[in-house]
Amino acid sequence: MNEVELTQLGIKDSRDLLNKKEISATELTNAYIQNIEESSKLNAFIEKTFDKALMQASKADKIIGTDSQKSLCGIPLGIKDLFCCKNVKTQAASDILENFIPPYESTVTQKLWNEQAIMLGKLNMDEFAMGSSNETSTYGPVINPWKSTGSHDSLTPGGSSGGSSAAVAANLCTGATGTDTGGSIRQPASFTGTVGLKPTYGRCSRWGIIAFASSFDQAGPITKNVTDSAIMLKAMSGFDPLDSTSAKIDVPDYEQALGKDIKGLRVGLAKEYGLQNGDSEANRKLEEAIKILKNMGAEIVEVSLPHTEFALPTYYVLAPAEASSNLARYDGVRYGHRAKLDTNDSILELYEKTRSEGFGTEVKRRILIGTYVLSSGYYDAYYKRAQKVRSLIKNDFDEVFKKVDIILTPTTPSSAFPLGSKGTQDPVEMYMNDIFTVPANLAGLPALSLPVGLDELGLPLGVQLIGNNWQEPLLLNTAFNLENTLAFENNPKKWWA
Amino acid sequence: MEIDTETVVKIARLSRIKINEGESVDIQKDLNRIVEFVRKLGEIDIDGIDEFNFGKTKIEDMRKDSVTIYDNTDDILKNTKNKNQDFFTVPKIVE
Repeated sequence: MNEVELTQLGIKDSRDLLNKKEISATELTNAYIQNIEESSKLNAFIEKTFDKALMQASKADKIIGTDSQKSLCGIPLGIKDLFCCKNVKTQAASDILENFIPPYESTVTQKLWNEQAIMLGKLNMDEFAMGSSNETSTYGPVINPWKSTGSHDSLTPGGSSGGSSAAVAANLCTGATGTDTGGSIRQPASFTGTVGLKPTYGRCSRWGIIAFASSFDQAGPITKNVTDSAIMLKAMSGFDPLDSTSAKIDVPDYEQALGKDIKGLRVGLAKEYGLQNGDSEANRKLEEAIKILKNMGAEIVEVSLPHTEFALPTYYVLAPAEASSNLARYDGVRYGHRAKLDTNDSILELYEKTRSEGFGTEVKRRILIGTYVLSSGYYDAYYKRAQKVRSLIKNDFDEVFKKVDIILTPTTPSSAFPLGSKGTQDPVEMYMNDIFTVPANLAGLPALSLPVGLDELGLPLGVQLIGNNWQEPLLLNTAFNLENTLAFENNPKKWWA
Repeated sequence: MEIDTETVVKIARLSRIKINEGESVDIQKDLNRIVEFVRKLGEIDIDGIDEFNFGKTKIEDMRKDSVTIYDNTDDILKNTKNKNQDFFTVPKIVE
Protein backbone atom coordinates (compact mmCIF):
# COMPACT_ATOMS: atom_id res chain seq x y z
CA MET A 1 0.00 0.00 0.00
CA ASN A 2 1.50 3.36 -0.91
CA GLU A 3 1.78 6.20 1.58
CA VAL A 4 -1.02 8.34 0.19
CA GLU A 5 -3.52 5.52 0.54
CA LEU A 6 -2.25 4.62 4.01
CA THR A 7 -2.91 8.05 5.42
CA GLN A 8 -6.42 8.16 3.97
CA LEU A 9 -7.35 5.45 6.43
CA GLY A 10 -8.86 6.47 9.69
CA ILE A 11 -8.38 4.99 13.14
CA LYS A 12 -10.47 1.84 12.72
CA ASP A 13 -9.09 0.89 9.30
CA SER A 14 -5.50 1.51 10.42
CA ARG A 15 -6.14 -0.56 13.54
CA ASP A 16 -7.46 -3.44 11.41
CA LEU A 17 -4.40 -3.42 9.13
CA LEU A 18 -2.03 -3.17 12.09
CA ASN A 19 -3.78 -6.11 13.76
CA LYS A 20 -3.50 -8.18 10.59
CA LYS A 21 0.19 -7.15 10.42
CA GLU A 22 -0.33 -5.89 6.87
CA ILE A 23 1.36 -2.67 7.94
CA SER A 24 3.60 -1.75 10.85
CA ALA A 25 3.08 1.16 13.23
CA THR A 26 6.47 2.51 12.13
CA GLU A 27 5.42 2.41 8.48
CA LEU A 28 2.15 4.17 9.30
CA THR A 29 3.88 6.79 11.45
CA ASN A 30 6.47 7.50 8.75
CA ALA A 31 3.70 8.00 6.18
CA TYR A 32 2.09 10.64 8.41
CA ILE A 33 5.45 12.27 9.14
CA GLN A 34 6.01 12.63 5.40
CA ASN A 35 2.57 14.20 4.94
CA ILE A 36 3.18 16.62 7.81
CA GLU A 37 6.58 17.61 6.39
CA GLU A 38 4.88 18.47 3.10
CA SER A 39 2.05 20.43 4.73
CA SER A 40 3.75 23.63 5.93
CA LYS A 41 1.37 25.73 3.77
CA LEU A 42 -1.53 24.53 5.94
CA ASN A 43 0.20 25.69 9.15
CA ALA A 44 -1.61 22.99 11.15
CA PHE A 45 1.29 21.41 13.10
CA ILE A 46 3.12 23.94 15.27
CA GLU A 47 5.27 21.52 17.26
CA LYS A 48 6.44 18.23 15.81
CA THR A 49 7.36 15.32 18.08
CA PHE A 50 8.57 12.88 15.45
CA ASP A 51 11.38 11.33 17.55
CA LYS A 52 8.87 10.53 20.25
CA ALA A 53 6.39 9.24 17.64
CA LEU A 54 8.92 6.86 16.10
CA MET A 55 9.92 5.56 19.53
CA GLN A 56 6.28 4.96 20.41
CA ALA A 57 5.74 3.29 17.00
CA SER A 58 8.67 0.95 17.49
CA LYS A 59 7.31 0.00 20.90
CA ALA A 60 3.83 -0.51 19.41
CA ASP A 61 5.24 -2.84 16.75
CA LYS A 62 6.60 -5.09 19.50
CA ILE A 63 3.28 -5.08 21.38
CA ILE A 64 0.81 -5.64 18.52
CA GLY A 65 -0.55 -9.17 18.62
CA THR A 66 0.42 -9.70 22.27
CA ASP A 67 -1.75 -9.65 25.40
CA SER A 68 -0.37 -6.22 26.28
CA GLN A 69 -1.96 -4.55 23.23
CA LYS A 70 -4.41 -1.73 24.00
CA SER A 71 -7.17 -0.08 21.97
CA LEU A 72 -5.10 2.58 20.15
CA CYS A 73 -1.84 0.67 19.81
CA GLY A 74 0.18 2.20 16.94
CA ILE A 75 -2.41 4.86 15.98
CA PRO A 76 -0.80 8.26 15.19
CA LEU A 77 -2.71 11.25 16.60
CA GLY A 78 -2.40 15.04 16.65
CA ILE A 79 -2.95 17.01 19.86
CA LYS A 80 -4.45 20.48 20.12
CA ASP A 81 -2.00 22.93 21.70
CA LEU A 82 -4.42 23.47 24.62
CA PHE A 83 -3.45 20.09 26.15
CA CYS A 84 -0.39 20.14 28.39
CA CYS A 85 2.02 17.42 27.34
CA LYS A 86 4.97 16.67 29.58
CA ASN A 87 8.24 18.04 28.17
CA VAL A 88 6.55 19.19 24.94
CA LYS A 89 6.25 22.93 24.27
CA THR A 90 2.64 23.95 24.99
CA GLN A 91 1.54 27.55 24.46
CA ALA A 92 -2.23 27.52 23.77
CA ALA A 93 -1.08 29.45 20.65
CA SER A 94 -0.33 32.46 22.88
CA ASP A 95 2.80 34.57 23.35
CA ILE A 96 2.16 34.78 27.06
CA LEU A 97 3.07 31.08 27.36
CA GLU A 98 6.24 31.61 25.30
CA ASN A 99 8.34 28.42 25.41
CA PHE A 100 6.32 26.89 28.24
CA ILE A 101 7.30 23.26 28.84
CA PRO A 102 4.73 21.57 31.11
CA PRO A 103 6.20 19.37 33.83
CA TYR A 104 3.03 17.24 33.69
CA GLU A 105 0.66 15.54 31.23
CA SER A 106 -3.06 16.27 30.84
CA THR A 107 -5.32 13.41 31.91
CA VAL A 108 -6.92 13.04 28.47
CA THR A 109 -3.60 12.79 26.60
CA GLN A 110 -2.21 10.46 29.28
CA LYS A 111 -5.21 8.20 28.68
CA LEU A 112 -4.45 8.18 24.94
CA TRP A 113 -0.80 7.21 25.58
CA ASN A 114 -1.96 4.57 28.09
CA GLU A 115 -3.93 3.10 25.17
CA GLN A 116 -0.62 3.13 23.22
CA ALA A 117 -1.51 5.86 20.71
CA ILE A 118 1.34 7.72 18.99
CA MET A 119 1.90 11.46 19.34
CA LEU A 120 2.81 13.26 16.11
CA GLY A 121 2.83 16.77 17.60
CA LYS A 122 0.85 19.82 18.68
CA LEU A 123 -1.82 21.44 16.54
CA ASN A 124 -2.48 25.11 15.89
CA MET A 125 -5.58 26.79 17.33
CA ASP A 126 -7.05 30.17 18.21
CA GLU A 127 -5.21 31.80 21.13
CA PHE A 128 -6.53 30.24 24.36
CA ALA A 129 -9.33 28.72 22.21
CA MET A 130 -10.89 32.17 21.79
CA GLY A 131 -11.93 32.49 18.17
CA SER A 132 -13.97 30.90 15.41
CA SER A 133 -11.54 31.17 12.50
CA ASN A 134 -8.06 30.32 13.81
CA GLU A 135 -6.96 33.88 13.11
CA THR A 136 -6.16 34.75 16.73
CA SER A 137 -3.27 32.25 16.92
CA THR A 138 0.20 33.66 17.54
CA TYR A 139 1.44 31.20 14.89
CA GLY A 140 -0.85 32.69 12.23
CA PRO A 141 -3.99 31.04 10.88
CA VAL A 142 -4.34 27.46 9.74
CA ILE A 143 -5.45 27.21 6.11
CA ASN A 144 -8.42 24.97 5.30
CA PRO A 145 -7.39 22.12 2.94
CA TRP A 146 -10.71 22.73 1.13
CA LYS A 147 -11.09 25.51 -1.41
CA SER A 148 -14.21 26.80 -3.16
CA THR A 149 -14.65 25.46 -6.68
CA GLY A 150 -12.53 27.53 -9.09
CA SER A 151 -11.10 29.75 -6.33
CA HIS A 152 -7.63 30.06 -4.83
CA ASP A 153 -8.79 32.02 -1.77
CA SER A 154 -7.52 30.74 1.56
CA LEU A 155 -10.42 29.68 3.75
CA THR A 156 -10.64 29.30 7.50
CA PRO A 157 -10.61 25.73 8.85
CA GLY A 158 -12.84 27.04 11.65
CA GLY A 159 -11.88 27.62 15.23
CA SER A 160 -10.75 27.22 17.74
CA SER A 161 -9.70 23.62 16.94
CA GLY A 162 -8.77 24.58 13.36
CA GLY A 163 -5.39 22.85 13.39
CA SER A 164 -7.10 19.64 14.49
CA SER A 165 -9.83 19.79 11.84
CA ALA A 166 -7.43 20.72 9.00
CA ALA A 167 -4.93 18.03 10.01
CA VAL A 168 -7.58 15.31 9.97
CA ALA A 169 -9.08 16.51 6.66
CA ALA A 170 -5.62 16.72 5.04
CA ASN A 171 -4.53 13.23 6.20
CA LEU A 172 -1.84 14.54 8.57
CA CYS A 173 -3.03 12.27 11.41
CA THR A 174 -5.64 9.53 11.88
CA GLY A 175 -7.56 11.66 14.39
CA ALA A 176 -6.98 14.63 16.67
CA THR A 177 -8.02 15.97 20.04
CA GLY A 178 -10.02 19.17 20.19
CA THR A 179 -11.75 21.17 22.87
CA ASP A 180 -15.15 22.82 22.67
CA THR A 181 -16.26 25.77 24.81
CA GLY A 182 -18.84 27.28 22.44
CA GLY A 183 -18.48 25.19 19.29
CA SER A 184 -14.71 24.87 18.89
CA ILE A 185 -14.87 21.19 17.87
CA ARG A 186 -18.12 21.17 15.88
CA GLN A 187 -17.72 24.34 13.80
CA PRO A 188 -14.22 23.35 12.52
CA ALA A 189 -15.54 19.84 11.81
CA SER A 190 -18.39 21.30 9.74
CA PHE A 191 -15.91 23.50 7.79
CA THR A 192 -13.54 20.64 6.95
CA GLY A 193 -15.82 17.66 6.30
CA THR A 194 -14.78 15.87 9.49
CA VAL A 195 -16.70 14.42 12.44
CA GLY A 196 -16.47 16.49 15.63
CA LEU A 197 -17.90 15.42 18.97
CA LYS A 198 -18.32 17.54 22.07
CA PRO A 199 -19.13 15.12 24.88
CA THR A 200 -21.41 15.77 27.86
CA TYR A 201 -19.84 18.19 30.34
CA GLY A 202 -17.98 15.95 32.78
CA ARG A 203 -17.40 13.05 30.37
CA CYS A 204 -13.71 13.87 29.92
CA SER A 205 -11.37 15.23 32.54
CA ARG A 206 -10.31 18.86 32.11
CA TRP A 207 -7.14 18.38 34.17
CA GLY A 208 -4.09 19.64 32.30
CA ILE A 209 -6.15 21.32 29.58
CA ILE A 210 -5.37 25.03 29.66
CA ALA A 211 -8.59 26.54 31.00
CA PHE A 212 -10.71 29.04 29.06
CA ALA A 213 -14.22 28.89 30.60
CA SER A 214 -14.29 26.04 33.08
CA SER A 215 -18.05 25.45 33.21
CA PHE A 216 -18.15 25.08 29.39
CA ASP A 217 -14.82 23.50 28.33
CA GLN A 218 -14.90 19.87 27.19
CA ALA A 219 -12.36 17.80 25.28
CA GLY A 220 -13.48 15.62 22.39
CA PRO A 221 -12.28 13.94 19.18
CA ILE A 222 -12.13 15.23 15.60
CA THR A 223 -12.00 12.26 13.24
CA LYS A 224 -12.57 11.13 9.67
CA ASN A 225 -15.71 9.15 10.52
CA VAL A 226 -18.17 8.25 13.27
CA THR A 227 -16.61 4.90 14.17
CA ASP A 228 -13.26 6.60 14.78
CA SER A 229 -15.02 9.16 16.97
CA ALA A 230 -16.48 6.32 19.07
CA ILE A 231 -13.09 4.62 19.42
CA MET A 232 -11.25 7.81 20.36
CA LEU A 233 -13.93 9.03 22.78
CA LYS A 234 -13.76 5.77 24.72
CA ALA A 235 -10.05 6.25 25.27
CA MET A 236 -10.52 9.89 26.33
CA SER A 237 -13.49 9.45 28.70
CA GLY A 238 -13.72 8.64 32.37
CA PHE A 239 -13.68 9.90 35.94
CA ASP A 240 -10.53 11.61 37.13
CA PRO A 241 -9.89 12.34 40.81
CA LEU A 242 -7.96 15.43 39.65
CA ASP A 243 -11.10 17.03 38.15
CA SER A 244 -14.04 17.15 40.56
CA THR A 245 -16.37 18.03 37.65
CA SER A 246 -15.55 14.82 35.79
CA ALA A 247 -18.40 12.35 36.26
CA LYS A 248 -18.11 9.17 38.31
CA ILE A 249 -20.01 7.02 35.83
CA ASP A 250 -19.05 4.05 33.70
CA VAL A 251 -17.60 4.62 30.24
CA PRO A 252 -19.75 2.83 27.66
CA ASP A 253 -18.29 0.94 24.71
CA TYR A 254 -19.34 3.53 22.13
CA GLU A 255 -18.16 1.42 19.19
CA GLN A 256 -20.45 -1.42 20.30
CA ALA A 257 -23.40 0.99 20.16
CA LEU A 258 -22.97 1.52 16.41
CA GLY A 259 -25.06 -0.20 13.78
CA LYS A 260 -28.36 -0.54 15.61
CA ASP A 261 -31.36 0.53 13.56
CA ILE A 262 -33.04 3.80 14.46
CA LYS A 263 -36.63 2.92 13.67
CA GLY A 264 -38.92 4.85 15.99
CA LEU A 265 -36.20 7.31 17.05
CA ARG A 266 -37.82 10.64 17.86
CA VAL A 267 -35.84 13.44 16.22
CA GLY A 268 -36.63 17.00 17.28
CA LEU A 269 -36.42 19.95 14.91
CA ALA A 270 -36.32 23.19 16.84
CA LYS A 271 -38.22 25.89 15.03
CA GLU A 272 -35.86 28.50 16.47
CA TYR A 273 -32.87 26.88 14.69
CA GLY A 274 -33.96 25.64 11.33
CA LEU A 275 -36.03 28.31 9.75
CA GLN A 276 -34.32 31.60 10.39
CA ASN A 277 -32.10 31.40 7.35
CA GLY A 278 -34.91 30.54 4.97
CA ASP A 279 -33.67 28.84 1.84
CA SER A 280 -30.02 28.59 2.91
CA GLU A 281 -27.46 25.89 2.12
CA ALA A 282 -27.43 25.02 5.83
CA ASN A 283 -31.17 24.37 5.67
CA ARG A 284 -30.87 22.35 2.48
CA LYS A 285 -28.33 20.09 4.18
CA LEU A 286 -30.66 19.80 7.15
CA GLU A 287 -33.47 18.74 4.78
CA GLU A 288 -31.22 16.02 3.30
CA ALA A 289 -30.55 14.62 6.76
CA ILE A 290 -34.24 14.76 7.69
CA LYS A 291 -35.19 12.81 4.56
CA ILE A 292 -32.69 10.05 5.33
CA LEU A 293 -33.79 9.81 8.96
CA LYS A 294 -37.44 9.57 7.88
CA ASN A 295 -36.60 6.81 5.41
CA MET A 296 -34.97 4.90 8.26
CA GLY A 297 -38.16 5.05 10.28
CA ALA A 298 -37.31 7.95 12.56
CA GLU A 299 -40.14 10.18 13.67
CA ILE A 300 -39.60 13.91 13.06
CA VAL A 301 -41.11 16.10 15.78
CA GLU A 302 -41.25 19.89 15.73
CA VAL A 303 -40.12 21.26 19.08
CA SER A 304 -39.45 24.66 20.57
CA LEU A 305 -36.46 25.98 22.49
CA PRO A 306 -37.91 29.42 23.21
CA HIS A 307 -34.82 30.99 24.83
CA THR A 308 -32.47 30.21 21.94
CA GLU A 309 -32.17 33.88 20.95
CA PHE A 310 -30.63 34.59 24.37
CA ALA A 311 -27.97 31.87 24.10
CA LEU A 312 -25.21 33.92 22.44
CA PRO A 313 -25.60 36.99 24.70
CA THR A 314 -25.59 34.64 27.74
CA TYR A 315 -22.46 32.92 26.48
CA TYR A 316 -20.65 36.20 25.77
CA VAL A 317 -21.19 37.29 29.37
CA LEU A 318 -20.38 34.03 31.13
CA ALA A 319 -17.47 32.69 29.05
CA PRO A 320 -15.45 35.96 29.22
CA ALA A 321 -16.23 36.21 32.95
CA GLU A 322 -14.75 32.77 33.55
CA ALA A 323 -11.86 33.52 31.18
CA SER A 324 -10.96 36.74 33.02
CA SER A 325 -10.64 34.70 36.19
CA ASN A 326 -8.82 31.72 34.63
CA LEU A 327 -6.32 33.90 32.77
CA ALA A 328 -5.46 35.92 35.87
CA ARG A 329 -2.72 33.38 36.55
CA TYR A 330 -0.57 34.61 33.64
CA ASP A 331 1.52 37.18 35.42
CA GLY A 332 5.02 36.68 34.01
CA VAL A 333 6.41 35.51 37.34
CA ARG A 334 6.81 31.75 37.02
CA TYR A 335 6.74 30.80 33.31
CA GLY A 336 6.14 32.14 29.83
CA HIS A 337 6.70 35.69 28.67
CA ARG A 338 8.02 38.38 31.02
CA ALA A 339 8.17 41.99 29.84
CA LYS A 340 11.47 43.91 29.98
CA LEU A 341 11.13 46.33 32.87
CA ASP A 342 12.52 49.80 33.50
CA THR A 343 14.73 50.23 36.54
CA ASN A 344 12.05 51.68 38.79
CA ASP A 345 9.20 49.46 37.65
CA SER A 346 7.25 47.73 40.41
CA ILE A 347 5.54 44.34 40.47
CA LEU A 348 2.41 46.06 39.11
CA GLU A 349 4.29 47.12 35.96
CA LEU A 350 5.61 43.57 35.67
CA TYR A 351 2.03 42.26 35.55
CA GLU A 352 0.58 44.98 33.37
CA LYS A 353 3.36 45.13 30.78
CA THR A 354 3.69 41.34 30.59
CA ARG A 355 -0.03 40.83 30.05
CA SER A 356 -0.26 43.69 27.59
CA GLU A 357 2.56 42.23 25.46
CA GLY A 358 1.67 38.56 25.92
CA PHE A 359 -2.07 38.48 25.15
CA GLY A 360 -3.49 39.09 21.68
CA THR A 361 -6.31 41.52 20.89
CA GLU A 362 -9.26 39.09 21.15
CA VAL A 363 -8.01 37.57 24.41
CA LYS A 364 -7.53 41.05 25.93
CA ARG A 365 -11.02 42.02 24.79
CA ARG A 366 -12.53 39.00 26.53
CA ILE A 367 -10.54 39.51 29.73
CA LEU A 368 -11.68 43.14 29.82
CA ILE A 369 -15.35 42.39 29.16
CA GLY A 370 -15.22 39.52 31.67
CA THR A 371 -13.71 41.81 34.28
CA TYR A 372 -16.40 44.40 33.53
CA VAL A 373 -19.36 42.03 33.95
CA LEU A 374 -17.92 40.75 37.24
CA SER A 375 -17.06 44.17 38.62
CA SER A 376 -18.90 45.85 41.45
CA GLY A 377 -22.07 47.56 40.24
CA TYR A 378 -22.41 45.42 37.09
CA TYR A 379 -22.32 41.88 38.52
CA ASP A 380 -26.09 41.57 39.07
CA ALA A 381 -27.05 43.18 35.77
CA TYR A 382 -24.80 40.99 33.66
CA TYR A 383 -23.21 37.96 35.31
CA LYS A 384 -25.98 36.98 37.73
CA ARG A 385 -28.68 37.63 35.15
CA ALA A 386 -26.83 35.54 32.53
CA GLN A 387 -26.50 32.67 35.02
CA LYS A 388 -30.30 32.73 35.45
CA VAL A 389 -30.91 32.83 31.70
CA ARG A 390 -28.53 29.86 31.42
CA SER A 391 -30.96 27.97 33.70
CA LEU A 392 -33.86 28.88 31.39
CA ILE A 393 -31.92 27.59 28.37
CA LYS A 394 -31.17 24.33 30.19
CA ASN A 395 -34.86 24.03 31.19
CA ASP A 396 -35.84 24.41 27.51
CA PHE A 397 -33.72 21.37 26.64
CA ASP A 398 -35.04 19.37 29.62
CA GLU A 399 -38.60 19.95 28.39
CA VAL A 400 -37.76 19.02 24.79
CA PHE A 401 -36.00 15.80 25.82
CA LYS A 402 -39.25 14.63 27.41
CA LYS A 403 -40.64 14.52 23.86
CA VAL A 404 -37.68 13.54 21.66
CA ASP A 405 -34.50 11.46 21.83
CA ILE A 406 -32.26 13.70 19.79
CA ILE A 407 -32.30 17.22 18.29
CA LEU A 408 -31.16 17.94 14.73
CA THR A 409 -29.86 21.39 13.72
CA PRO A 410 -27.38 22.92 11.27
CA THR A 411 -23.86 23.09 12.76
CA THR A 412 -22.95 26.39 11.16
CA PRO A 413 -24.88 29.10 9.29
CA SER A 414 -22.58 28.67 6.25
CA SER A 415 -19.59 26.73 4.97
CA ALA A 416 -16.00 27.93 5.54
CA PHE A 417 -15.45 31.63 4.88
CA PRO A 418 -12.32 33.36 3.53
CA LEU A 419 -9.65 34.34 6.05
CA GLY A 420 -9.85 38.02 6.94
CA SER A 421 -13.48 38.33 5.88
CA LYS A 422 -15.24 38.40 9.26
CA GLY A 423 -14.96 40.29 12.52
CA THR A 424 -12.32 42.81 11.48
CA GLN A 425 -14.56 45.83 12.13
CA ASP A 426 -16.91 44.28 14.68
CA PRO A 427 -16.03 41.37 17.01
CA VAL A 428 -19.71 40.43 17.33
CA GLU A 429 -19.85 39.49 13.64
CA MET A 430 -17.44 36.61 14.38
CA TYR A 431 -19.36 35.60 17.51
CA MET A 432 -22.48 34.99 15.39
CA ASN A 433 -20.76 31.92 13.93
CA ASP A 434 -21.44 30.05 17.16
CA ILE A 435 -25.19 30.58 17.00
CA PHE A 436 -26.11 26.89 16.61
CA THR A 437 -23.33 25.40 18.75
CA VAL A 438 -23.32 27.53 21.91
CA PRO A 439 -26.64 26.28 23.39
CA ALA A 440 -25.28 22.73 23.92
CA ASN A 441 -22.34 24.18 25.88
CA LEU A 442 -24.65 26.32 28.00
CA ALA A 443 -26.70 23.23 28.87
CA GLY A 444 -23.67 20.88 29.14
CA LEU A 445 -25.16 18.50 26.52
CA PRO A 446 -23.31 16.21 24.10
CA ALA A 447 -23.40 17.29 20.45
CA LEU A 448 -21.83 16.02 17.25
CA SER A 449 -21.21 17.55 13.84
CA LEU A 450 -21.46 15.19 10.88
CA PRO A 451 -20.54 16.13 7.29
CA VAL A 452 -23.57 15.91 5.02
CA GLY A 453 -22.05 16.84 1.67
CA LEU A 454 -20.74 19.73 -0.38
CA ASP A 455 -22.59 23.00 -0.84
CA GLU A 456 -22.87 24.95 -4.10
CA LEU A 457 -19.37 26.38 -3.52
CA GLY A 458 -17.99 22.85 -3.39
CA LEU A 459 -17.32 23.11 0.34
CA PRO A 460 -18.28 20.64 3.06
CA LEU A 461 -21.07 21.45 5.46
CA GLY A 462 -22.23 19.59 8.56
CA VAL A 463 -25.37 19.03 10.56
CA GLN A 464 -25.46 18.89 14.33
CA LEU A 465 -27.04 16.23 16.52
CA ILE A 466 -27.65 17.21 20.14
CA GLY A 467 -28.37 14.50 22.70
CA ASN A 468 -29.48 14.42 26.32
CA ASN A 469 -26.85 14.07 29.05
CA TRP A 470 -24.66 10.94 28.72
CA GLN A 471 -26.42 9.90 25.49
CA GLU A 472 -23.23 9.77 23.39
CA PRO A 473 -23.97 6.14 22.35
CA LEU A 474 -27.33 7.20 20.85
CA LEU A 475 -25.75 10.28 19.29
CA LEU A 476 -22.98 8.24 17.67
CA ASN A 477 -25.32 5.51 16.47
CA THR A 478 -27.69 8.02 14.86
CA ALA A 479 -24.74 9.72 13.18
CA PHE A 480 -23.41 6.32 12.08
CA ASN A 481 -26.72 5.50 10.38
CA LEU A 482 -26.79 8.86 8.63
CA GLU A 483 -23.15 8.55 7.60
CA ASN A 484 -23.71 5.18 5.95
CA THR A 485 -26.39 6.59 3.69
CA LEU A 486 -24.67 9.91 2.98
CA ALA A 487 -21.38 8.23 2.02
CA PHE A 488 -19.57 11.59 2.14
CA GLU A 489 -15.97 11.41 0.93
CA ASN A 490 -13.49 13.77 2.49
CA ASN A 491 -11.00 14.24 -0.32
CA PRO A 492 -9.95 17.88 -0.74
CA LYS A 493 -7.67 18.39 -3.75
CA LYS A 494 -4.09 18.29 -2.46
CA TRP A 495 -2.84 21.79 -3.44
CA TRP A 496 -0.46 22.22 -0.49
CA ALA A 497 2.22 19.62 -1.25
CA MET B 1 -24.99 52.10 30.29
CA GLU B 2 -22.19 52.90 27.88
CA ILE B 3 -18.59 52.12 28.82
CA ASP B 4 -16.81 55.49 28.99
CA THR B 5 -13.08 56.21 28.84
CA GLU B 6 -12.83 56.25 32.61
CA THR B 7 -14.40 52.78 32.85
CA VAL B 8 -11.96 51.42 30.26
CA VAL B 9 -9.07 52.69 32.37
CA LYS B 10 -10.65 51.18 35.51
CA ILE B 11 -11.26 47.70 34.08
CA ALA B 12 -7.84 47.65 32.40
CA ARG B 13 -6.29 48.33 35.81
CA LEU B 14 -8.46 45.62 37.44
CA SER B 15 -7.41 43.23 34.64
CA ARG B 16 -3.74 44.16 35.08
CA ILE B 17 -3.42 44.94 31.38
CA LYS B 18 -1.59 48.08 30.29
CA ILE B 19 -3.43 49.93 27.57
CA ASN B 20 -1.86 52.81 25.70
CA GLU B 21 -3.87 55.78 24.50
CA GLY B 22 -3.82 54.67 20.88
CA GLU B 23 -5.42 51.31 21.73
CA SER B 24 -7.94 52.76 24.16
CA VAL B 25 -10.31 54.18 21.54
CA ASP B 26 -10.61 50.90 19.64
CA ILE B 27 -10.99 48.89 22.83
CA GLN B 28 -13.73 51.20 24.08
CA LYS B 29 -15.57 50.85 20.76
CA ASP B 30 -15.29 47.03 20.78
CA LEU B 31 -16.37 46.72 24.41
CA ASN B 32 -19.40 48.90 23.78
CA ARG B 33 -20.35 46.79 20.79
CA ILE B 34 -20.22 43.66 22.98
CA VAL B 35 -22.15 45.30 25.82
CA GLU B 36 -24.80 46.39 23.33
CA PHE B 37 -25.00 42.79 22.08
CA VAL B 38 -25.46 41.26 25.54
CA ARG B 39 -27.91 43.96 26.63
CA LYS B 40 -30.61 41.73 25.12
CA LEU B 41 -30.51 39.77 28.39
CA GLY B 42 -32.34 42.70 29.99
CA GLU B 43 -35.46 41.81 27.99
CA ILE B 44 -36.09 38.61 29.88
CA ASP B 45 -38.06 38.04 33.07
CA ILE B 46 -35.83 36.21 35.55
CA ASP B 47 -37.99 36.52 38.66
CA GLY B 48 -37.86 33.34 40.70
CA ILE B 49 -35.25 31.68 38.44
CA ASP B 50 -32.22 30.11 40.14
CA GLU B 51 -28.71 30.65 38.89
CA PHE B 52 -27.44 27.77 36.75
CA ASN B 53 -25.47 24.92 38.28
CA PHE B 54 -24.65 21.38 37.23
CA GLY B 55 -26.16 19.94 40.41
CA LYS B 56 -24.68 19.39 43.82
CA THR B 57 -21.28 17.74 44.16
CA LYS B 58 -21.55 14.61 46.27
CA ILE B 59 -19.12 14.66 49.18
CA GLU B 60 -18.41 10.93 48.68
CA ASP B 61 -17.27 11.67 45.10
CA MET B 62 -14.64 14.13 46.23
CA ARG B 63 -11.10 12.99 46.70
CA LYS B 64 -9.63 12.70 50.16
CA ASP B 65 -7.82 15.76 51.43
CA SER B 66 -4.51 13.96 51.73
CA VAL B 67 -0.97 15.25 51.44
CA THR B 68 0.86 14.48 48.20
CA ILE B 69 4.55 15.13 47.81
CA TYR B 70 5.62 17.00 44.68
CA ASP B 71 9.34 17.48 44.52
CA ASN B 72 10.39 18.15 40.93
CA THR B 73 11.13 21.80 41.63
CA ASP B 74 13.83 21.74 38.94
CA ASP B 75 11.30 20.97 36.19
CA ILE B 76 9.17 23.89 37.29
CA LEU B 77 12.11 26.28 37.49
CA LYS B 78 13.21 25.31 33.98
CA ASN B 79 10.37 27.52 32.74
CA THR B 80 11.93 30.76 33.95
CA LYS B 81 15.20 32.66 33.75
CA ASN B 82 14.10 34.80 36.67
CA LYS B 83 15.23 32.68 39.58
CA ASN B 84 17.65 32.64 42.45
CA GLN B 85 18.38 29.21 43.92
CA ASP B 86 14.92 27.63 44.33
CA PHE B 87 13.01 30.90 44.19
CA PHE B 88 11.38 33.05 41.51
CA THR B 89 12.64 36.62 41.43
CA VAL B 90 10.40 39.68 40.99
CA PRO B 91 10.88 43.45 41.34
CA LYS B 92 11.28 44.65 44.89
CA ILE B 93 7.89 44.55 46.67
CA VAL B 94 8.74 45.77 50.19
CA GLU B 95 10.59 49.05 50.74
